[in-house]
Amino acid sequence: MTRLIEVPTQFDDRSFDQFTAAYAQAGDGERLLFDAHAAEWASPYGLVGLLAAGEAATRKGERPLLTAPANPDVVSYWARAGFFREAEDLFEVHGKVPRTKVATESEVLLPVTPVRAAEDVHAVVSTIQQRASAILSSELGLDPKATMGFAMALSESCQNIVEHAGTGGWVAVQAYNWRRKLARRVVVIAVADAGVGFRHSLEPTQAKRFGERWGDAAALEAALVQGVSRFRDPGRGQGLAGIRRYLTRWEGKVAIRSGTARIAIVPRWDDDVPLKEGLPAFPGSQVLLIIPEQVAEKAGGSSQR
Amino acid sequence: MIPHIMVHAVLQQAVAGFYTDLVTRPTGRAVRENIERDLPPGTVAVMDFTGVGCLDYSCADEIVAKLVRDKVKVLLLRGLTDAHREAIEPVLAGAGLAVLCERADGVLEGLGASEPAPALLDELIERRLAARIPGGSIRLTAA
Repeated sequence: MTRLIEVPTQFDDRSFDQFTAAYAQAGDGERLLFDAHAAEWASPYGLVGLLAAGEAATRKGERPLLTAPANPDVVSYWARAGFFREAEDLFEVHGKVPRTKVATESEVLLPVTPVRAAEDVHAVVSTIQQRASAILSSELGLDPKATMGFAMALSESCQNIVEHAGTGGWVAVQAYNWRRKLARRVVVIAVADAGVGFRHSLEPTQAKRFGERWGDAAALEAALVQGVSRFRDPGRGQGLAGIRRYLTRWEGKVAIRSGTARIAIVPRWDDDVPLKEGLPAFPGSQVLLIIPEQVAEKAGGSSQR
Repeated sequence: MIPHIMVHAVLQQAVAGFYTDLVTRPTGRAVRENIERDLPPGTVAVMDFTGVGCLDYSCADEIVAKLVRDKVKVLLLRGLTDAHREAIEPVLAGAGLAVLCERADGVLEGLGASEPAPALLDELIERRLAARIPGGSIRLTAA
């Protein structure tokens, strides 16, 4: 039996739980068909999240199916963003996928890139420094010093996969105009894996401390807010704390979804909630970092550059 | 004679592939182990970061914090960019550790937790490796 899982037409972190709700209903032994034919737009978070779903489905049983977006512009963009290069290994892809080169355009700062080992993190950091510095400083108005912090945040996000996931994952970085939400340009880093997730990773060292409260939400809180790590080494747990510091400084947002919970450090421009529990179960961890264009404060409010 | 560690050169020796960025724990571990081989315990050492690109928190902890915690008496850093400092400072401060940092003008200052830094400066002065100059700031006498 094949179960249909619709990919939301606007596929981003906001609609991700609509997607995971359908995913969570799938039973063992069912073949999954991810239907993206009606997709109109996908954020980097949507793209790497879909790959994580594909990997998890492959592990559970038969290789899943994927219907590519029908809109030629959308499917072309997914191809240029590097999605299909990775999807071909995970899904039986149906639909017309253009043979497009992975983008060198300015919006795609880092196409969908697999992260499996430390060498991959080196490659990601090297690529992003070559491509992102100009955009971060000229288009987003970030202090040139902040571009190195951006590479650090990216490095630490990717290392979470290498160190904790127990499997590989993907990262993607894009810059775009976020008219709907912020009326500013933003740079978005999305990292996703279908590994063991935060709760499983931290359980041996943290579950006892939390007692009955222990679960996905407590694990995320321990990692992001308290900076704990599964390693007893006293220097561990620096990565997420550093990411949080960096994003707070540049009015950015960090959100991490793992298992059935999602935690966020919410900047003043966003109306997200800090913690959500009881979400549909989804394997691994999905990390979202958003850095907005910096605006000069003027009397009577802020203005765009 | 103070041992001088050129971090970029050690990185090239320690890790396969031409990297200029100090990122990931395995890279940091490989670099630190390479440094430790030639470093007697309890020593004063100079670590030069010239030529190093991105330094992330994991490498800052794996290299700088662990050397300070387990190996050297005083670690003096030079060639640091602002971004390097931003990675190293919270890692050391969080662990209650400090290093000395040589500014571009040659003045030494503490980096990391504030409490241990004065003792590090005193140690260098006691060993006649640094001296207080008119105005009160401290510089190396020999490097």
